[in-house]
Amino acid sequence: MHRAGVMLILGAFIAVVVVAGCAPKKSPTTGTTATGKVQITGAGSTFVNPVMSRWSSEYEKLTGVQVNYQSIGSGGGIQQFKEGTIDFGATDVAVTAEEEKEFTRPFVQFPVVAGTVSIVYNLPEVTQNLQLTPEVLVDIFLGKVKKWNDPRLVALNPGVNLPNRDIVVVHRSDGSGTTYILTDYLSTVSPEWQQKVGRGKSVSWPVGVGGKGNEGVTGQVKQLPGAIGYVELNYAVQNNLTFAAIRNAAGKFVLPSKETGEEASRMAVDRLKQDIRSSAVNMPGENSYPITGFVYVLVDKQPRDAAKSAEIKKFFEWVLKDGQKMAAELDYVPLAEEVVQMSLQKLAEVP
Amino acid sequence: MKVSPLHERWRRFKNVAALTLAGVCAVVVMAPVFIILAYLVANGIRSVNLEFLSSLPKPPGEVGGGMANAIVGSFYMVGLGLLISLPIGVGAGVYLAEFGNTRFGYAVRFMADVLNGVPSIVIGISVWALLVVPMRSFSALAGGVALSFIMIPMIARTTEEMVRAVPNSLRMASLSVGATYARTMWSVVLPAARGGIVTGVMLALARAFGEAAPLLFTALGNRFWNFYLDRPMANLPTQIYEYAKSPYQDWHRQAWAAALVLITIVLVLNVVARVSTRERFRALR
Repeated sequence: MHRAGVMLILGAFIAVVVVAGCAPKKSPTTGTTATGKVQITGAGSTFVNPVMSRWSSEYEKLTGVQVNYQSIGSGGGIQQFKEGTIDFGATDVAVTAEEEKEFTRPFVQFPVVAGTVSIVYNLPEVTQNLQLTPEVLVDIFLGKVKKWNDPRLVALNPGVNLPNRDIVVVHRSDGSGTTYILTDYLSTVSPEWQQKVGRGKSVSWPVGVGGKGNEGVTGQVKQLPGAIGYVELNYAVQNNLTFAAIRNAAGKFVLPSKETGEEASRMAVDRLKQDIRSSAVNMPGENSYPITGFVYVLVDKQPRDAAKSAEIKKFFEWVLKDGQKMAAELDYVPLAEEVVQMSLQKLAEVP
Repeated sequence: MKVSPLHERWRRFKNVAALTLAGVCAVVVMAPVFIILAYLVANGIRSVNLEFLSSLPKPPGEVGGGMANAIVGSFYMVGLGLLISLPIGVGAGVYLAEFGNTRFGYAVRFMADVLNGVPSIVIGISVWALLVVPMRSFSALAGGVALSFIMIPMIARTTEEMVRAVPNSLRMASLSVGATYARTMWSVVLPAARGGIVTGVMLALARAFGEAAPLLFTALGNRFWNFYLDRPMANLPTQIYEYAKSPYQDWHRQAWAAALVLITIVLVLNVVARVSTRERFRALR
């Protein structure tokens, strides 16, 4: 009789829910589960997701505290944190003074890790890392440099046999912290870019095709010979994309890497001390990669749940001290020691 | 009237052409199902193993891990949705069938159809505003409620159709031997309509299992085990979305496996629904 089978399935559903519903309720002050584990919910930046998952996994092994991080995008992270539906938010772009006015609760924000945005391209004929100056990069994204064998590109890359291909710009079609970091950089180095396009999580691109997410841009660049785009370094490395060396403020061509990003983050310390929202693009220093940005975490200063807040604080202390070397393994940029100290100071404001 | 041979040949040609066209369309209807199934099996079958079905997700950079919490989470929240929508849906369906020929009844029916057509992402956002924000936490409860919003109109409308289809003579017979109206409903009409109602419920369950949009902003997702109603919970559809857009090969592999598991659950529910319907028709004959 099939109906018996149907009833069995229905019964099983109901049983699961009833059993789960009858499980001992958590105590409201400690937020522990039946297994005695604290669970912290965070959400936001997709860029930080891989390293956050790694931290979460290692931290659970060490302490039993479960940090559940969900990547819903930087904007989503700020929004949900503002609504108070998550315990902490993560964003690639610091909450601006203007946005901060809309918050009903006091909070702190501080960098937990940094990342470099790599300029990736697809030229089957070229295997070397190309060299680009900020001016040429701006003109490529403005659509003024149209061919890969443009005289300016050839002059910058002696000995490289640049093909007579059209340059196809690939940019993000969705709002993105990566776009913010790149356009922040382009606006910093070029008044023309600042005036025509400006900085933002999404801007109106003068030329090019869009791709959704880091993975969308990666896919487009991989498929289109002649394409140039920008993705976070870990996407470039994971997908074997070639990336360019960019001339930094000190006049040196540097490739994106954890060392060059760390140098940039170190150079940004003085500015950060003035204003935690300061960007880390176009920093001085011979070895600093110019398109570098921080990932910020947002934490309540007046938490509703004191015990949980103490656990959140402990977790981020661990992230800032012990978590940085794991970040390097995943092609993120570990924070320079000076920045770590500054973040720890900010974190100390959390009870 | 005499038909010329040329005209007749033209007619035959039209007949064959139309038949071929309809046949091709029929094949095209089936093709996506087979393409999807073949593709999922080809990509996912090797990754559906004990580890995948029984362990928690691993962070990127470490190969392996599974989606046990997402599989259980999906069952949990669909079960919760069923717990909410079954009594409401069946109750509303009975009301519509028995007393629904009023202006109010038409309004209810119309609203149920509207709810059925509301994009599931809209349901997700509404439940976020309705439950997640006041509770100050993403939760399994919010996920279950969002899924129940999808299931309620489906169950209500099927129940109505099925209760209407029960012959009036059965009601009369029951009432004439002195049974109350309530007793008649409970012991005669509903059991007679049960097969059809179960079919509707199964199809509603199958739909709820596959929905990612209502869960994105209600259940959120969870890297760990959770059985509490008031905490975020993992589930298969959002996990597939999450893994498929990651840069990691191993996560792509697991996304395929999860998709295969999900479609298997949906297929089983559909088949059970069909089989139980056939059972019912055989009983009627």
